Amino acid sequence: MTTYIIRRLIMMIPILFGISVISFAIMYAAPGKPTVMDLDPDISVEAREAQMERLGLNDPPHIQYINWMSNVVKGDFGTSFTKKQPVRDMIADRLPNTLILMIFSTILAIIVAIPFGVLSATKQYSKLDYGVTMTSFLGLATPNFWLGLMLIMLFSVQLGWTPVGGVSTLGADFSLLDRLHHLILPAIVLATADMAGLTRYTRSSMLEVVKQDYIRTARAKGFRESTVIYKHGLRNGLIPIITIFGLMLPTFIGGSVIVEQLFSWPGIGKLFIDATFERDYPVIMAITMFGAVLTVIGNLIADILYAVLDPRIEY
Amino acid sequence: MKKTIFASISMIFMLSLFLVACGGGTDAPDQTGGDQDTAEQQPVGDPQYGGNMILGTSGEPVILNPLYHTDSASADITDLVFAGLMQTNENLEMEPLVAKTQPEISEDGLEWTYELNEGILFHDGAELTAEDVVFTYNVFIHEDTTSPRAGDFRSLVNVEALDEYTVKFTLAEPDAAFATRVTYGILPKHLLEDIPVADLEDYREFNMQNPIGTGPFKFVSWTSGQNLVLEANEEYFEGRPYLDNVTFRFASDSNALVLLLETGDIHHMIAPTSEIGTIELYDHVNLHSTLALRYDYLGWNLDRPLFEDKRVRQAITHAIDRQELVETIMEGNAEVAHAPVSPLSWAYNDDVPKFEYDVEKAKQLLADAGWEPGSDGILEKDGERLSFTILSNSGNVTRRDIGIITQQYLREVGIEVKPEQMEWGAFLDQINPPNFDFDGVVMAWGLATDPNPRAIWHSDQIENGLNRSAYRNDEVDRIADENTLVMDQAERAAMLGDAFAIIAEEQPYTFLYYPYQFVALSKEVQGFTHHPRIDMYKVHEWWLNQ
Repeated sequence: MTTYIIRRLIMMIPILFGISVISFAIMYAAPGKPTVMDLDPDISVEAREAQMERLGLNDPPHIQYINWMSNVVKGDFGTSFTKKQPVRDMIADRLPNTLILMIFSTILAIIVAIPFGVLSATKQYSKLDYGVTMTSFLGLATPNFWLGLMLIMLFSVQLGWTPVGGVSTLGADFSLLDRLHHLILPAIVLATADMAGLTRYTRSSMLEVVKQDYIRTARAKGFRESTVIYKHGLRNGLIPIITIFGLMLPTFIGGSVIVEQLFSWPGIGKLFIDATFERDYPVIMAITMFGAVLTVIGNLIADILYAVLDPRIEY
Repeated sequence: MKKTIFASISMIFMLSLFLVACGGGTDAPDQTGGDQDTAEQQPVGDPQYGGNMILGTSGEPVILNPLYHTDSASADITDLVFAGLMQTNENLEMEPLVAKTQPEISEDGLEWTYELNEGILFHDGAELTAEDVVFTYNVFIHEDTTSPRAGDFRSLVNVEALDEYTVKFTLAEPDAAFATRVTYGILPKHLLEDIPVADLEDYREFNMQNPIGTGPFKFVSWTSGQNLVLEANEEYFEGRPYLDNVTFRFASDSNALVLLLETGDIHHMIAPTSEIGTIELYDHVNLHSTLALRYDYLGWNLDRPLFEDKRVRQAITHAIDRQELVETIMEGNAEVAHAPVSPLSWAYNDDVPKFEYDVEKAKQLLADAGWEPGSDGILEKDGERLSFTILSNSGNVTRRDIGIITQQYLREVGIEVKPEQMEWGAFLDQINPPNFDFDGVVMAWGLATDPNPRAIWHSDQIENGLNRSAYRNDEVDRIADENTLVMDQAERAAMLGDAFAIIAEEQPYTFLYYPYQFVALSKEVQGFTHHPRIDMYKVHEWWLNQ
């Protein structure tokens, strides 16, 4: 197992290198240059060119890549072209917000999805099953920006129960309750799609499991039905779901873009979108690489968890 | 109530349609407005002290040092934290601020002497003296400077302190535009003199974490992605601001800002045209409007053979009913433009050739230029059809609509137009040097206080500047080169007027309109002065009626 993990970790290096080359090439090939974004007639051409030179944008692309890579190896992700701040600080500022939102919404999704998925499977073709199935399809089909807007209009504007956006009340001291108050709407919106998907996955996975021989054996032994389902069934039923979690990890960055935009939530997603429009290369590259690392690690974690949950799997 | 719900619902539909199209850039926001100030006058008492005014903005500042920023969000903050020698008032005239009076200018126009107010204090308690002014302006002319504004001071040779409260600027050649250049916030020499000029832009301890100026508000804190807080400068030399605090609240876009305005979370926002209809329905908000210092235009690529003949360009302008365009697309919130100068400027010349809507004249001009109707009704000449694309940036609905309306107007005279849209960054790349890959483009210019047309119209700005229409005219070049040497404003206005008339006659652009800009302000806010160019103007006079 340990050698397996080490081998996988070493394999990450060429994969990440490949990703960085391809992302850099695509980013560079996209039309638009970082500094022509200033269209102020007051700024002279000389000043603009001096800026290009300072940012190293006049070097050929492969030199720019090598310069960038040699800094990254040293742990330096450079300085944002447009925000003039170290990229690492910018990400460090925003990452906690995105993580809080994602973790909270994922927990919310799990708490709702797994019990309903199990119920829906064990009581297949019941009214409850149809209800859950309908609701999850509805949840999958609802675009989350639309849902978000509806919730804002209802709860924030009409009823005034929740704030319109942001992470905390302006000027107030830190309070957990206040944070939760701001978190609840974006988390619900973000959880909806995951919730619907997870319910469906849990249901179909559990349907497979409850038909297995060992479930019949467990029942024959005279265990209580809840023990049969939750102890013997669910543990096996969860294995495919773990893969989905592993693959969900990278969406922690990309998945919340729209919700962050909608709720003015200062997270990574919004940073990434802004950077893309402004052709802010260092920020684009840093976030892309961060996403790549998460994807690779997410896959690794999923594989490891397989082995943990299913003793038959060995590496 | 019914109205509000209707507005909310229609807004949701608008949002659902346009949410994906949230790109844009510095030139992108299209702020326009109504014919007059729609703010209702209501009886108010005397100004009150106190209160925290919350300004909603979608742009987060970049750098809080007035010498280095190029974005309006940073300018809004530095306009509050710093004060310059002079400032531009709402009529675009130069007014003394840190300086006591207008400058004394030597006979030859080379020496400008400013006398300073005494007793002005920086936020750390040190007094502002002539040495601070000298320090600030030396940054611009230092050989290691990284200031994007250094180009403004090419003619400046020397800055010196004659005594503690007198500064003399010496120029290499007379520069009439110099008067508008001395508005940069004065930096504290005692805090920055040890930093090498080359590193000043990256000196985050000052530029990001603790900017110290002499302006009406002191910097308190900046939480990235959330807010930036300022507090009143008790010692402000024009009098303590009425407000205790000014807080900038960052939101993702104007949709989010409108919601915050509706719920009363913010007192102030710059209102884009598309939101005016919604904001008008809020009982607790006033909309203020004023003409913006800008014009919107259809620019033609004169290097393309289709646009070589000025009669074709004039015909195009004749064929477009710009008054109608202002009434429909801009809902009347603009005035038709005829020349590359704003009516707000002292150099505005109304006496320029005007190409009013006249389809017959347009057809005649095109016939004179040798274009004959082809088999499909589109004009042809030497086997080439009079057909081209008009490009604009995606996400900007106003510009997209202008493209479509132009298509319809020009079809009337036998010209085929294909409107196209591109993402902002790609769009700029395509129309700017060295690509110049466009026929026509819908754009706008935000103008500087000084009306010098050089940056946009001089032929030496084609290869690497902003003259992307590739406009060449020797007389305009000469005026662009020489107008700043003329110190007498009336004489200079006459000279510039000639240049504007030449450009208007040659129609390298179809000048569309001068738009209005809107500010949405909670009715609690009093004492507001709407400035066409500066968002945070005389904020020390604003107060909250609580």
